[in-house]
Amino acid sequence: MHDQPEASAQQVRAIDRPIVMIPVFALIAAVGGLFGSFTVSANLLLHAIAGTMVWLGLSGRAGRRVAPLRLSRSSLWWLAPVLVFGLTELFAFLHTDRVAYPTLSLLADPVLDNYLPRAASYFGWLAGFWALVRR
Amino acid sequence: MKAVILSLFALGAVAFVALSWLSRRDGSKVPGFGDMAGFVMAYRVGRVPVGRVAVLGFWWWLGWHFFCR
Repeated sequence: MHDQPEASAQQVRAIDRPIVMIPVFALIAAVGGLFGSFTVSANLLLHAIAGTMVWLGLSGRAGRRVAPLRLSRSSLWWLAPVLVFGLTELFAFLHTDRVAYPTLSLLADPVLDNYLPRAASYFGWLAGFWALVRR
Repeated sequence: MKAVILSLFALGAVAFVALSWLSRRDGSKVPGFGDMAGFVMAYRVGRVPVGRVAVLGFWWWLGWHFFCR
């Protein structure tokens, strides 16, 4: 009677399919790009999305890829960009002259004031969040 | 000083792209960024998924910082 595998175990869920998730993220990003900084709408949308993502990530409901148990010594190369970004940001942040010592977010602000770059960045943030949730 | 800071941010971005490219080559010993993230996120203290909470929390803060303030 049970020659066939359980259908539910073989089904690819909607959230596993990029063709489903990419339009969803594009729609959210299109809306999120409309809201400017320091607005209630921007905060409500972002915290609702981030809260959902974190819940999915911590509960494991979105599924996870297998994480490597150990890394090779070559993985230390990743410290290079992390340290360059982190130390530069810290160095700039510790100075009060924001014109001569701009932080990354201050450099991004004029770009993110425009709808298309803001929506595109929002999409990138969502896609990155989703990739992390599934790790 | 602004030019120096811009150059350092650019250097960090180039290093990130270069490592991502290197990690995708056949037989590469450099793990991909996803594997690095997965390794960090797998860190636990007892039953508490410290790595997962830290990474997801950082990404939450990053979005709020850039899009809400």
